Amino acid sequence: MHREGRIKLLFILPAVAWVLCFTVFPLVYGVRLSLYNVKVGAADEFVGLANYRHFLEDARAWASLAVTLVFVGCGVAAQLVLGLALAVLFTRAMPLRGVMRTLLTAPLFATPIAVGFLFVTVFYEEGGLVNGLLGLKVPWLSHPTWAVVSVIIVDVWQWTPFCFLIFLAALGGIPEDCYEAARLETKSGWALFRHVTLPMLQPTVVLVLLLRITEAFKVFDIPFTLTTGGPGTATQVLTMYAYRTGMRFFNFGYASAISVVVFLMVTGIILVLFRRIRQVYQ
Amino acid sequence: MRRFTAQMTLAALVAAAALLTGCGQEGEDRGAAAARGEYKFLEWRDEGGVDLITFEDKEVIRLTKEQLGTLFGKGKAPFAGKRIAVSVLNSGPKGGISGPLYRLRPAWEELTGAKLDIVESPIAELLNKTITDLRLGGGQFDGFIQAAWFMGEYVTPEFIVPIDDYIKDKRFPQWDPAWMPPALQALYTWEGKWYGTLNDSDGQVLYWRNDILADPEWRKRFKADTGKDMPFPVKTWQDVIEIAKYFHGKNWDAGDAEPDTGIVMHFRVNEQGMFHFMSLSAPFVVLGGDKVDRGTNNYWFDPETMEPLINQPGHVRALEVLYELSQYGPKAQSAWDLGTAWDWFLRGKSIFVFSWGDVGALAQDETRSRIKGKLGAAILPGSYEVYDMNKRDWLTLKEPNVVGNTVGGSWHGVISAKSRNPELVYSLYALMATEPVSRWNANRGWTGVDPGASIHFLPPDGTANLGGYIDAGWDERDLRAYLKAYHDNFFAKTMMPYLRINGTEEYWRALDQNLSEVMIGRLKPQEALDRTAREWEAITDRRGRGDQLRQYQRSIGYRK
Repeated sequence: MHREGRIKLLFILPAVAWVLCFTVFPLVYGVRLSLYNVKVGAADEFVGLANYRHFLEDARAWASLAVTLVFVGCGVAAQLVLGLALAVLFTRAMPLRGVMRTLLTAPLFATPIAVGFLFVTVFYEEGGLVNGLLGLKVPWLSHPTWAVVSVIIVDVWQWTPFCFLIFLAALGGIPEDCYEAARLETKSGWALFRHVTLPMLQPTVVLVLLLRITEAFKVFDIPFTLTTGGPGTATQVLTMYAYRTGMRFFNFGYASAISVVVFLMVTGIILVLFRRIRQVYQ
Repeated sequence: MRRFTAQMTLAALVAAAALLTGCGQEGEDRGAAAARGEYKFLEWRDEGGVDLITFEDKEVIRLTKEQLGTLFGKGKAPFAGKRIAVSVLNSGPKGGISGPLYRLRPAWEELTGAKLDIVESPIAELLNKTITDLRLGGGQFDGFIQAAWFMGEYVTPEFIVPIDDYIKDKRFPQWDPAWMPPALQALYTWEGKWYGTLNDSDGQVLYWRNDILADPEWRKRFKADTGKDMPFPVKTWQDVIEIAKYFHGKNWDAGDAEPDTGIVMHFRVNEQGMFHFMSLSAPFVVLGGDKVDRGTNNYWFDPETMEPLINQPGHVRALEVLYELSQYGPKAQSAWDLGTAWDWFLRGKSIFVFSWGDVGALAQDETRSRIKGKLGAAILPGSYEVYDMNKRDWLTLKEPNVVGNTVGGSWHGVISAKSRNPELVYSLYALMATEPVSRWNANRGWTGVDPGASIHFLPPDGTANLGGYIDAGWDERDLRAYLKAYHDNFFAKTMMPYLRINGTEEYWRALDQNLSEVMIGRLKPQEALDRTAREWEAITDRRGRGDQLRQYQRSIGYRK
């Protein structure tokens, strides 16, 4: 290798080292841990795939997986629809549009932990903000179904701005010519949206879907602070279950197995979505 | 738009600056005030005693020369230049358990010449943070203010050190383990060795609105409406249910226009709801006696096999009672934490609450309580029927089976085996355990240090003086009922055994989640406790049945 090539390698070395230390090593170590029974203060015991077998038989793990899928499905769908609707709305002229746009993005910059605590007071059932304003007695946090709804609402509140921003940028990139040509065929706003805007936005939709699904699968902070996974295990998502298993009960082997399962699921979804993106571009 | 953005940016910068300066404010105030000589934290007296002056409150706690120990004195700073870190619950400088450390820190630093770093963590993180540090050999902490159920996790791998030699050492601040009742001593020791210094004494008692239940008018109405006398003072949990049921939904407190409740509890999952079940279920399960076996002075596991006993008929009956009782509380309590439930009672919204000593003390704080002077308290009620786990049959008694409890954390300091300054750490804990400091803490509800030692009780039960409590804002009638309740509880003839073995946290969390499922109606009591038993079996198997069994036998004093 000539000198210039070596210098190039030198420049990428920090990035390679970073990825090896903070991505590849934890991943490999996590997979290794998942094959062991780890005991605090004692030698680790190799158990092969026992932790994965335990996952298959663990009713709590399956319940947590179901909660996670409901959360991801409902939450991401709502964020996508709302984000897109708001973005389309904000392409039109309206008073105070700039201020409104800034305010809309504000939740994005809040810390999820703080958001969770904030919404404990918002959803307080005995005269909290929402019930107080609506004059209702909705059991936001004490009923299993409503608790799931509450967690989804908070996540939607925080992450819809993310979808909104990306869609807004993407809408700005659709050439006006396309609409002008389409208007020769129809004047219907809905038809224009369906036959021009939506197809043109498809790569962006898939991208937003990919980013949000990946993040939503890893959700932890909001249910952790808002409901602590309850009532019962109604809002215990898979990451929270893994965290408790590992960090509270020191069952690091099984916790790692759960994390590996989550990793494989998310990887599978990413692969499917990437394939879709490729198809769209092709 | 640009001006708006600039304003927003400026506001954010100001907020961030305020936040940053706020973080260091306390330390700067303390240091600067002391440097200017405006604020002393120690006042030496001629006879060699010292007045400790608390941070911010500027209250004086007087120690004699003997109480202080020989290590400290005017002009001495025996640990100058050293620094220790102690982990504690994250309640902040004015909150329970951590608050007293902040109040005493400047005085202790001046006494020793050393520095103290207080490292706060949420209750959910406290154990794993310290254990992870110990396991990885980091040695970040010199000591831990631990909950009693952490003890097995710390002691069995020898992560903490015994303090028997320090206790006898006259160089350190003086306190006496004999002040504590045997039930609490058991929590601070392991196999006869002392690991903890006197601090907090946790146990649940029953509180009620005495102004309502002792009111002849309400008693008359109760009889007119139900056809029977109000079962007050209550003797059994059934009595509590009858009264709670009667008052639930009525607006018996004129504080607001909303109806009030019969009882209030806290069942927010993964917090402290399971303690309600433990303390309520004890009289249905625990039989007293001179021995320890499966059915006597036992609650958790069969001491021969480590088979979980949590789904035995006594436990199940108790959970049915708890569930029925919960129907006479606010519906939202399934999601409430401890503080929210306390607040409900302190705001005058509930007839009953059964909880820790903090409630009695906080009730005296008129900035958050509407019930000062209206408080009743007693040891938790009993049950006429107890399930005998030896005979596997119910016993019916002539008098209710009343069982004292030490449920909760009984938070106290232990010393890390990795600490390079164990004597320095002990000096801090011992100072907190001296009679004047411990009493100062127990007199004030916000400290989270609840009374349990003889130095906290009034004569003839103990050596405390009424004036200390009255000066701290107590109503005398409330106080007498409160202290009697706690004395009766900690010195009860039969006590509920405490679980301190490895994995206690895990066993309790499994129980807690299943209890929460009962409270929201997704599981029946029998189903929930059967599931708990299965999960406990799995935990025991994973952690090693033999090890767990040996630890359990030692922890309850079982001998074949």
